Amino acid sequence: MMDDLLADFVAETREMLEASGGEIVAWEADPADKARLDTIFRFVHTVKGNCGFFDFPRLEKLSHAAEDALADCRAGRRDPDRALVSAVLAIIDRISEMTDSIEAGEDYPEGGDDELIAALQPSETVEIVGEPKQAPSAPTSADTAETAAPKAARNSGVQRSIRLPTELLDEVMKGVSDMVLARNDLARRLREAGVQPEIDGPFDRLSTILADVRTAITRMRMQRLEHLFGSLPRLVRDLSNELGKQVMVDFEGGEVELDREMVEMVRDPLTHIIRNALDHGLEGPGERIKAGKRELGLLKFAARQSGNQITLAITDDGRGIDTERLAAKAVAAGIYSQSEVDAMSERRKHYLIFEPGLSTADAVSAVSGRGVGMDVVRANIERVGGSIDVVSKPGEGTSFYLKLPLTLSIIAALTVGCGTQRYAIPRSYVEEIVFGSSEHVEFAEAGERQLVTFRGKRVPCLSLGEILGTETPDADSWQYKTLVLVRLASEEVFALAVDRVYDHEDVVVKPIAPAVMETGLYAGTTLLDDGRPMMLLDLPNIAQQHQLVNEMRSATRVVEEEQVEQRASHPIMLFTALDGRRRAVRLELVRRIDTVAREAIDIEGARAQAVIDGAIFTLAGHEYGSLPEEKCRLLRLSDGDCEIAYAVQEVLDAAAMDGDIIPSAADPAIEGVTLIGDKPVPVIDGHALFARHQSAKGSAHTMTCRLPAGSDWARTILEPLVEAAGYRVATDAAEEADVAIELAEEQATPAGPARRVIRLRPEPEAPDDTQDSIYRYDREALLAALKLARSGKTA
Amino acid sequence: MNQLLLLCRIAGRNAAIPAIRVQSVIEVGEITPLPGVPPFIRGLTALRSQALTVIDCSVALGFESQPDTPEQRAAVVDIDGHLYALLVDAAYDVGEARSDPIEVPGGFGAGWQAAARGMVETDTGPTLLIDIETLVSGPAAQAA
Repeated sequence: MMDDLLADFVAETREMLEASGGEIVAWEADPADKARLDTIFRFVHTVKGNCGFFDFPRLEKLSHAAEDALADCRAGRRDPDRALVSAVLAIIDRISEMTDSIEAGEDYPEGGDDELIAALQPSETVEIVGEPKQAPSAPTSADTAETAAPKAARNSGVQRSIRLPTELLDEVMKGVSDMVLARNDLARRLREAGVQPEIDGPFDRLSTILADVRTAITRMRMQRLEHLFGSLPRLVRDLSNELGKQVMVDFEGGEVELDREMVEMVRDPLTHIIRNALDHGLEGPGERIKAGKRELGLLKFAARQSGNQITLAITDDGRGIDTERLAAKAVAAGIYSQSEVDAMSERRKHYLIFEPGLSTADAVSAVSGRGVGMDVVRANIERVGGSIDVVSKPGEGTSFYLKLPLTLSIIAALTVGCGTQRYAIPRSYVEEIVFGSSEHVEFAEAGERQLVTFRGKRVPCLSLGEILGTETPDADSWQYKTLVLVRLASEEVFALAVDRVYDHEDVVVKPIAPAVMETGLYAGTTLLDDGRPMMLLDLPNIAQQHQLVNEMRSATRVVEEEQVEQRASHPIMLFTALDGRRRAVRLELVRRIDTVAREAIDIEGARAQAVIDGAIFTLAGHEYGSLPEEKCRLLRLSDGDCEIAYAVQEVLDAAAMDGDIIPSAADPAIEGVTLIGDKPVPVIDGHALFARHQSAKGSAHTMTCRLPAGSDWARTILEPLVEAAGYRVATDAAEEADVAIELAEEQATPAGPARRVIRLRPEPEAPDDTQDSIYRYDREALLAALKLARSGKTA
Repeated sequence: MNQLLLLCRIAGRNAAIPAIRVQSVIEVGEITPLPGVPPFIRGLTALRSQALTVIDCSVALGFESQPDTPEQRAAVVDIDGHLYALLVDAAYDVGEARSDPIEVPGGFGAGWQAAARGMVETDTGPTLLIDIETLVSGPAAQAA
């Protein structure tokens, strides 16, 4: 504490010295100038006052003497003459030197003060006042070499600093940004002009210098976190006195630097978290002793930098968040229903603290609980591109983790393309990038909501083009998109489908006009290398606009991230079966949802199969009614080994099965009946379904077909046809293929073993000697033969 | 009095913007469209390292957008720290106002009434003095 106050004192004195520097010079030129006299009087007066506060008797004595002399002048008791001016200036110089010593933590050499003070006296001898400039330096020059040397060393050791208006820094920063743009423009022109060693070398050097300058400018805006920490002990002390609690504060990572503006932005949220911790988190001394804790509560602040992010953890060792009370409040406030709250995990309940309108304090205290809650804290942190997280253990304490970008104006961004435009996404939100065409990615629709399943996670999917209104919804275009998996600060996850992902880059973000801000789509603007503007997307707001925030809170977070809970409440998928009745299937069984053409479904007697993407699946569900005329929706169910396509009329929604399943003996196809939204829904029995179709597993594997080796025609014309018929082309010579296609004109032995052989002839009319051959362009006959081979095997 | 005005043409009419508010008159180059914004905002354009919000003055007053001319002029203004490029049909000259802004009986008509501070006499005849703050908030704000 003392050190901080001292630093303030030094800084203030320096600032006054700098400010009054010009005044002193002007006063020297015209000692009768009253205004200048007043300024200097104020300076020595302030120094005197501050000295009394600290224990600096020498400084106090000097400033007091100067003040007295100047007071006489102001009162008209004395005329300021050159001698007086010189004497005062000598004292000011001495104050300045002593201030340097105080900052460096060293003692100023003894002696010389009295001479300076004596020089102020009006009737003293001319000799002293005649050489006032020598007076202050006298002690130094009179000193031995040993003391002079440390002084020089001290001066170089003191970090010189100046104060600059932030606007000036911004101006310089803007200039450097302009230079970077000009450099980029020049770089493009140079590239177009080809390699020119005599220019490229210096140009590269220029680029390096520019990059260094840019980094230096950025650092100019940085401030150590200890400036922020410095003000906290006092706040904690005042609050804990008010609340009758005893709190110890611990700091770690004060050397971490953060953008000045960012420091100011987190001050309020931090204050609120401290209030919250002292009021709700930390117990009173009595309660602490009862709980076997130290009487003294601990509040710990730890800052850490990782890359372009700062993590600031605020930890108390109090009683932890009372989730039951928090949940009860959420229900009472009508934010969640009792069943929703019951379904939540502890961790999920902790997040309730960020809900608007919740305060765990039963009575409104002076410290917290004024209605401004943690939701405001969270909003403020998110506004500056940060995030907040909370971890709490009952009886052990609570930690809040603030993640903050290093600066307000420069953020690490991912640039993505949509249509012809580029947009930037804060990289801190980006969890993963996957291609829609990847085989690990599956799309599905639930009602109007597009869902994407990726690595076992099913998340809502938004198309950037649709969000911006530049594209119309198109179910078929998803696989051509690139998906950016976005995890918001509040842990909500969704996929953003974009046309292209370009690059990672650090962008300088500028504010946008209010009318543009109103769209809620953009958070700022930045300039591309070629000088064109690019918008920064406001992802939290976009998620909010598309109701993803609440929806995911009740569904996704519970379903996806809390696996334990997922099993407890059994998510199911509701659909309308072909008979028009609602049924449900356990969501774990559903691998994906496909839409196929009616022709892809083949039903013959007891055999029912569907071809999806070149693979054959056993079909179920068709027994409930007739298939739609054109397109058919299929649920692809999997037991891990085997897949079954289940024909449905419509996929309705995913829901949580909270209640019990009432078993039904009458219908072996269903596991039982459960209540979804007060209506009975039969849940199909996955076990029975797979048991029934297990024997068909063999047929569900992809049939193989061997093509004539070394034939371009076979490879380019035949292969796609065979694959479209649901066969896989056999490539291993040793493998026994289900079918082999041979060309009649080639008498060569088959390339490998096969169960069945289809012979193709080059001429339309069958020659007499070969009856069982098919004309190579008789598509119908060829497909029929392939189909026969398939069903023949099943039969 | 004798306020300097940027004399221009908006939606086919003579209009004026206080010259003291105008930083420069530029030829608008490429405009980056902003999906989702109201139609009176054309998009963003870059002026050196600054992004300007391009306002289509005709649309902001509630009229149809004027056909684009090859040399589209815009007045650059700073409102509350944000830079705007006010797209006009044409920008002629800077001239002095010969009178204070006055109202005329019956008003200036739909669109103009809300955004006009009044009519001023200039060397090129009567001209409507446009309030740029109203302009950048768009037709919706005027209706409110």
